[in-house]
Amino acid sequence: MLKQLSRSDLEQLLEAVAKNYALQVPQLLADGTRQLGPYDNAELSLSGQPLQRKPTSYFFPQTELLLTLDAAGNVQQPPPAEKPLALFGMDRTDLAALTFLDQFFMAPPADDIYLHRRLNALLIGLTGDAGPDSSFLPLADDGCDIELIAINQKWLALGHSEAGKSLLRKFNDGDDKQLVTLRKASRDQPSDLLQQASQLLHDDLVPDAFWEEIADRCILCSGCNLACPTCSCFCLQDRQTPNGTERSRVWDSCQLDAFMREASGHNPLGTEALRTRRRIHHKLVADVERWGELGCVACGRCDRACPTGIGMFAVAEEMVERFGLRS
Amino acid sequence: MHQPARNQQSIYAPRPCRLLSVTELTPNEKLFRLQLCDKTELQHQPGQFVQISIPGLTEAPISVASSPTRKGYFELGIRKAGQLTSALHRLQAGAQIGIRGPFGRPFQLDALDGKALLLIAGGCGLAPLRSLIQYCQDRSDEFASVQIFYGARSPEDLMFQQDLSDWQSSHNFSCRYTVDNKPATSCFDGETGLITNLMNDIQVEAENCCAVIVGPPPMYHPVIASLRQLGLNKPKQIMLSLERQMRCGVGKCGHCSIEHLTCCCDGPIFWLEEVEHLRGAL
Repeated sequence: MLKQLSRSDLEQLLEAVAKNYALQVPQLLADGTRQLGPYDNAELSLSGQPLQRKPTSYFFPQTELLLTLDAAGNVQQPPPAEKPLALFGMDRTDLAALTFLDQFFMAPPADDIYLHRRLNALLIGLTGDAGPDSSFLPLADDGCDIELIAINQKWLALGHSEAGKSLLRKFNDGDDKQLVTLRKASRDQPSDLLQQASQLLHDDLVPDAFWEEIADRCILCSGCNLACPTCSCFCLQDRQTPNGTERSRVWDSCQLDAFMREASGHNPLGTEALRTRRRIHHKLVADVERWGELGCVACGRCDRACPTGIGMFAVAEEMVERFGLRS
Repeated sequence: MHQPARNQQSIYAPRPCRLLSVTELTPNEKLFRLQLCDKTELQHQPGQFVQISIPGLTEAPISVASSPTRKGYFELGIRKAGQLTSALHRLQAGAQIGIRGPFGRPFQLDALDGKALLLIAGGCGLAPLRSLIQYCQDRSDEFASVQIFYGARSPEDLMFQQDLSDWQSSHNFSCRYTVDNKPATSCFDGETGLITNLMNDIQVEAENCCAVIVGPPPMYHPVIASLRQLGLNKPKQIMLSLERQMRCGVGKCGHCSIEHLTCCCDGPIFWLEEVEHLRGAL
């Protein structure tokens, strides 16, 4: 189903969504970055830099209450949200990241805490001329309920799910020929840098000394993990309140020494070099082995977040440059 | 996506259970006998673990030390090592704690059927192995023989001393144990030296033999080398239990990953050939 939306159609669509969902839309912040925020009275930012904060954090937030335990050990679970979430403005990489997390958290046993946020949520992707200075962002063609493709101050709207199609029904049909052209322009031309790096690691062609060098540059800020939309590691935290003990999960970072340290003192990731290797290896090799795809969706957030220039792309580039010819 | 009922218990919700008894095993280790408050069985299999929950101190993964063939209770042998285990050590019979589980892949009992077993434990690795040893005791006809080897640091670190003695006289069983060091003042008259010393004179038909190793990380390589020398060179002949910081028990938190595997779901029991090529696994 292809529709075409004018600006006022778009506003009508968002109004309709906001009636039944807690709608979050892209907004421009005073510092020039873009974030998702509540729809109420917000001025939409319909093109620009990638969203600064990973949108997956709406479904897997940094701190999340799992349950409350009273003195007798009774368990109380947090009440469900009043309205399901709707996120507007995710690009192809953000949608791919959420698809990856869905797969991870739904794998048996399914994570009910994630599922309750994610279930019935509505995703409206934003692609086409929605990049910086209205540059072209490749189509997602999947992973959302509705995809809005910006083109010439209008939006082609693709309904991918039943919920999405139903919301779009009343709008005018779009021109399929335009879609063919846009799909052609979207065809993957990404450098296969990450694939090459993945192969090098898989074939064990990257020496340990490399990871020591990279680790020497790391300041252990854990920004790479916190910025990454597919990172899913967490630890549990208890907090005593008048109502009992609140048990939450909190994002954790594999770059920190305590990540795998056991009570006995044994630490399988006991050096910075091992932890740095783990960060890259997990996304480029272990995830491929486990899930059949790279765990990196190439959003670039870790490269932008890292103060010392050892994000995923930087490390992959260096790996391929230095060890690629040997393969 | 499948919608779970909201009244269904969360995978993170602990179940209440009651401490039936607490027994001191060593100066640092105690045996806790527990029963679920609803009086149901834990429904575990040997080699599985539970998450012990204490409000304010979150959770800790602990292997079950008793066999499911022993009904009405389950036991945990716990070393005092961190905040949560120290708090547990202060509890007395009658106290209530929470548990989640059982979790993880158990010992592969089908593969052990009819085999001559070499069950090898070091330190507090004897606690998880005890669940299998008890199972073998209760189903002794299912195994050709059971040889137990156990190593501890010193005489006072030997866990389950009464069990060690019982196992020596069980049908089809033999049990040998050693300590790394014996203080000059100790009246211990057992064997001293590394656990591999006990394995030098093992008499087995390697073809029909299966070994299970549960121990501290430094023990794996020398013990595996000894088993290889005995002729245990085929797949599915050496099974081991790996220790990791398993925080969630359901494969989500990431703390127990070994490359693409999670110790809490894909393990903690692995065949050697499943993990020996993975960096940092052993």
